[in-house]
Amino acid sequence: MTSLSLSLGPPALVRLHDALICLSKFSETVAIEAEPDLLRLSALNSTKTGFASFAFEKGVFFEAYSFNSSVNGRSGSVSLERFFCQIYNKALLSIFRGRIDRNKDTAVERCDMELHEDLQQAECVIKSYKLTYEPAAVQHAVFDKSKATSMWTADPRFLKQLIEHFSLSAEQLDMYSDSGRAVFTSFTTKITDGKEVLKHPVHTSVAADKRDFQEYLVEENMHVAINLKDFKAVVAHAETANATVTARYTRPCKPLQLEYRFEGVNAEFTVMTRGQSDSEDIPTSTRGTIPRQTPAPVPISAIRQRDTRPSVTPSTQMPPPPPRSRSIRPLNGSSTQENLSQKPSADRPVASGLSMESDSLFVPADDDRQWDEMNEEEEPQDILGWDASGTQDAFGASIRDAEPSFSKHDGSHAEEADDEMGLPPTQRLSQVRQYGLFD
Amino acid sequence: MRFRTQLRDSKTFSKLTASLSSLGKVCWMRLEYEVIRFTIIPDQGTQVWASIPVGTIFDDTTYELESNSDAINIEVNISVLNRALRSAWGATHAQLRLTKKEKTPLLALTVLASEWTEGNMALATNDDADGFGDDPNSEEAPADTTGDRGPRERQTWITQEIPIKILHESAVEGLHEPHCPDPEVHIILPNLAQLKSISDRFTKLASTDSKNRQPGVMAPDAPGMHSVSFGGAGANTAATALSTNSSPKLELSANMHGSLRLAIATDELRIASVWSDLVNPPLDPAQMTQQEMSQLPSELNRKREASEAFDFGWAKVRIDGKDWSRVLSIGRLSPKVVACFVNEMALVLYVYLPHNRDEEESCLTYYINSFST
Repeated sequence: MTSLSLSLGPPALVRLHDALICLSKFSETVAIEAEPDLLRLSALNSTKTGFASFAFEKGVFFEAYSFNSSVNGRSGSVSLERFFCQIYNKALLSIFRGRIDRNKDTAVERCDMELHEDLQQAECVIKSYKLTYEPAAVQHAVFDKSKATSMWTADPRFLKQLIEHFSLSAEQLDMYSDSGRAVFTSFTTKITDGKEVLKHPVHTSVAADKRDFQEYLVEENMHVAINLKDFKAVVAHAETANATVTARYTRPCKPLQLEYRFEGVNAEFTVMTRGQSDSEDIPTSTRGTIPRQTPAPVPISAIRQRDTRPSVTPSTQMPPPPPRSRSIRPLNGSSTQENLSQKPSADRPVASGLSMESDSLFVPADDDRQWDEMNEEEEPQDILGWDASGTQDAFGASIRDAEPSFSKHDGSHAEEADDEMGLPPTQRLSQVRQYGLFD
Repeated sequence: MRFRTQLRDSKTFSKLTASLSSLGKVCWMRLEYEVIRFTIIPDQGTQVWASIPVGTIFDDTTYELESNSDAINIEVNISVLNRALRSAWGATHAQLRLTKKEKTPLLALTVLASEWTEGNMALATNDDADGFGDDPNSEEAPADTTGDRGPRERQTWITQEIPIKILHESAVEGLHEPHCPDPEVHIILPNLAQLKSISDRFTKLASTDSKNRQPGVMAPDAPGMHSVSFGGAGANTAATALSTNSSPKLELSANMHGSLRLAIATDELRIASVWSDLVNPPLDPAQMTQQEMSQLPSELNRKREASEAFDFGWAKVRIDGKDWSRVLSIGRLSPKVVACFVNEMALVLYVYLPHNRDEEESCLTYYINSFST
């Protein structure tokens, strides 16, 4: 029998909530892994191009943490002393709703969570919530830090300043180094009608001095592009945590990892990059001695389909990953993500009472927003949206009380092709080329 | 064809584009030697014709324009331009130029943003430095990160490339400002912030009213203003006619004796706010003779006795509440606005931006159609 119990103080609770919000921008579900020394929350996005993980350390983050694994019989295999499950993120977030506000006294003294193998229970002083979870194969993106050939470290506030120049419709972020400057360029891969010139996306590039980074060791002129929304989600969270972000990567079409640590939390985001991996197309490198990795075979994965639920079959496989550095291997249980995808009861209160509050008759003279068109719920141009999830009610879910109809998998049969786990690019290279970005 | 200039006042330019973008997406921008013209003619709603002297937004000394037709006409998504101009706020250097990239004409905005930094990021984490140290290839990484960590000016270059369409002179030949009959009333509008918040409140009340059909929505008393609830049989007929249209219509009327009235009426509510002691500006004597001027309907109205004028000499228009709100967004530039009323037909606003005495005046002209009952 596995048992897990933990206690969080108010500051840690805020941190946990921040982490959940960040994870909600990657996936609807959050994977929970308990180990004797840490608790890890992670999320893998539906296209498997972005993986976010927060590891909370036992001694630093928690007031109390105890984990006992039932697998005592299997001595010697340390990696099995884990418990994992996944849970609907909205259900978790809804617990903290209204109780977490770093500026207010929220009267939560402590949050205890206990895990029983049949039910998870979190007791918040008075209220206790019983959340259902499901056993699931927890997948980790693999990233070998020691193989990274490029890295930079920067203050999240500085990164945020860079991002703010990009248009809200920009989807991708290309980064490269050009003679002493770090250049970040936004672009959009959406196909636009050639005639509708005015609908073409704005092309924004921001060149910052390398000295604005704490460290900047990047191969000259190598373009690497990632999803801008993922990057925004990372920067937004790193800013709340006040933690310096480190990016590590090797080549286009290989994963890139953004990492930071604070207060006993280790946050890692592994995202797939795009760009041209063909070496002959790369502008002559100034660092020719770098061992070239053979370009990975590009899998024919679907072009970005955020909304459609992927069939999580292990057969749509990805380029061979770099050798794994961690011993964690995803245990199996066939994916039950479909079960979780059942929407919770959709009727939740609309914030209707708010509509009149904003238009007090006499407004302070300096507020430029008073001139905006009225009645707009939320003018996106004035409020920089960090929510990449695309769902407006990301934090407003109600707890589901129906038992999900999944059958438990014992998670013991080995995964067939686990070595091939990694992240696929979202688009064929031939398509990328048409946009002329790297021509 | 060539256009290149430094921005002089990116804040004004940005506010201007923000206000214009509320009326429509596509903006015809006409670059001339002395003025920049912005015109938005939406399918529905208010048109605006703006004429901004070059020096108001651009730097005269760097302004370069070359064209066979002495002007460059472009079509630009004005909200995209507005968004891009945000990068220029507080910049030390901002340049706008016409360029081309793979056959697509572009307006390229290049900005040098400077910011004072206190050393290099006070943040320091111990963990970030390692993890890379054991990289076997690390000696290949160029040590190009300098040790310069003192307080200094941080400089960032930003380029925004905005796709545009070049319009041939023949494409814009047929576009003219609308002609209107001589107005019956012209009056300087009160503080736009106040006018906008009251108008928005009225519109909102009327739309919630028509949506919910809740009887008993009370007209709020606007402080500092005398609100008049008018009732009676006559008003009821007008109210019925108004509420048939989907979005609420505001009734705006004024006379030549300094009064302006803003009213809205639905089945359930009738509210009005009245301003008095506003200014009816004199007409420019340079434009026409004394004789001609005295025959204008507005001047005839001005001559009426004040007592008589409370009942007569009002000119009234019926305008869409939401559209009006968009028009009033120009208030962010704190302009002076002269409203010209053509009874039951149109409202023309002349919007003058604040300017230095030695500069030419920027003027935006809004043409708003009156809805019929």
